[in-house]
Amino acid sequence: MTLAFSTPPRTHSFLSRLDPRWKLAALLFAAAVAATLRTLPAAALTLGAALLLALLARLPRRWFLERLGALALFLALFTLPLPWLLADAGPGWTWGPLRFSFHGVEVGLLLCAKAVTIVTLFLIVQATAPLESTLKAAHSLRVPGLLVQLSLLSYRYLFVLADELGRLRIAVRVRGYRNRVSRHSYRTAGHVAGTLLVRGYERAERVGQAMRCRGFDGQFRSLTEFSTRPVDVFAFLLLTALAAALAAWDWLPRLSG
Amino acid sequence: MGLAAASLWVIAVQSDLRIQVRDLSFVYPDGASVLDDISFDIPAGESVGLVGPNGAGKTSLFLCLSGVLKPKATLLRVGGLDLRDAEQRRRLPEQVGIVFQNSDDQLFNATVFDDVAFGPLNLELPPDEVRQRVAEALERVGLTGLEERVPFHLSGGEKRRVALAGVLAMRPSVLLLDEPSMYLDPRGRRELIHLLHILGGTRLIASHDLELILQTCGRVLLIDRGRIMADGPARNVLADTALMETHGLEVPYSLRQPSTS
Repeated sequence: MTLAFSTPPRTHSFLSRLDPRWKLAALLFAAAVAATLRTLPAAALTLGAALLLALLARLPRRWFLERLGALALFLALFTLPLPWLLADAGPGWTWGPLRFSFHGVEVGLLLCAKAVTIVTLFLIVQATAPLESTLKAAHSLRVPGLLVQLSLLSYRYLFVLADELGRLRIAVRVRGYRNRVSRHSYRTAGHVAGTLLVRGYERAERVGQAMRCRGFDGQFRSLTEFSTRPVDVFAFLLLTALAAALAAWDWLPRLSG
Repeated sequence: MGLAAASLWVIAVQSDLRIQVRDLSFVYPDGASVLDDISFDIPAGESVGLVGPNGAGKTSLFLCLSGVLKPKATLLRVGGLDLRDAEQRRRLPEQVGIVFQNSDDQLFNATVFDDVAFGPLNLELPPDEVRQRVAEALERVGLTGLEERVPFHLSGGEKRRVALAGVLAMRPSVLLLDEPSMYLDPRGRRELIHLLHILGGTRLIASHDLELILQTCGRVLLIDRGRIMADGPARNVLADTALMETHGLEVPYSLRQPSTS
């Protein structure tokens, strides 16, 4: 099983005991705040708070770092060129035609801090409640049922498509295919991707038929019953207040200026 | 027998027919005609095998009987519902349960419990009844205790049984099983045959596994190129070497005559 398709761990912490609705609402608000931050100190502080929360949520270190590592590879593609691309008149170093801008470094760090914060918050959500509870909580927070079902099915069938991709890879390898930088390799990869899409579409048709045969009418129904305790409300207020304070610290100086 | 009494007798007999099909034809949007002038009846409690070569129209017929496809027919009643009527077709999931060829097409929830509860929840049953039906269905297929397991981590046989439990939890009066022994190892297949014997009820089973058909069905419909070519006792139809070979099938091993040479 690949990194992306492994089943998330189940942690036992005070966060996993919170009502999923209040927790999801608070962490979504915090993620939205993180996405809007404009200054590096506020983004760094938010990242620190998210990492502290991850510690309190007892996320398995290896599982957490593996995912951050995958994110870092993705972020490197976008942020490493920034100091050379955002070459303004501000401070920096110049080597002939090349200019290394400190402003570019700051923007890159800001982007990284925001991305790591948001991913950390989502990993906390993922590890502290079963996916179906989180999705049911999302539905009770007025997220449309169709979107909730779509998320559940996408998650479910990622595993099936991953297995299908595995079978296709074996099928091409046993017929002598090896990854090389060549026109033939690119064409084969394209065919594999196309086959996967066609099979995915056909499977979606069959899944839809199976759902309709069991009376599905587009409504998301569940037996899960949530109950709110004072500690859920307290945790929600604490997290949203903290996020709001960080947003205010980030935005107020510019508004007053 | 008076006219009124005769009419009552006809109604009584008809209500005992769980599947009634007359002149059913279906053409896919691309013009491929897959079912042509199909007619048959299945009374309550009968287990019928549907056999035929690949592309004969078995799965399409199942999709017509489960309301997924909308064929042309002069009569199409399943579980007492007229499928030509949109309102009655909407109520079909209460009457007809279909288990698909590939269980991965049918199991989509994150836990076995949620998957089996999916149908009863769609019937808008009270929560206690949903839980009771899930427990009963899992017990019938021998999966009690696996409620919190993730369906996609189960074995092929277990997945098939969860798919069956999901259908049984809706308490359908008619069960349609499409290639039920596909992807099963011999043990899983034996367990399935045992389960089918226990379950009873009105069933239509499509399969290439003719030994399974022989063990679970008293009657067989042989379908080829969208038409019914034979309808009769399973042992008679499946033992007819000329008929079977004409339609790309083989007489099951257990019905073959010992060689005289």
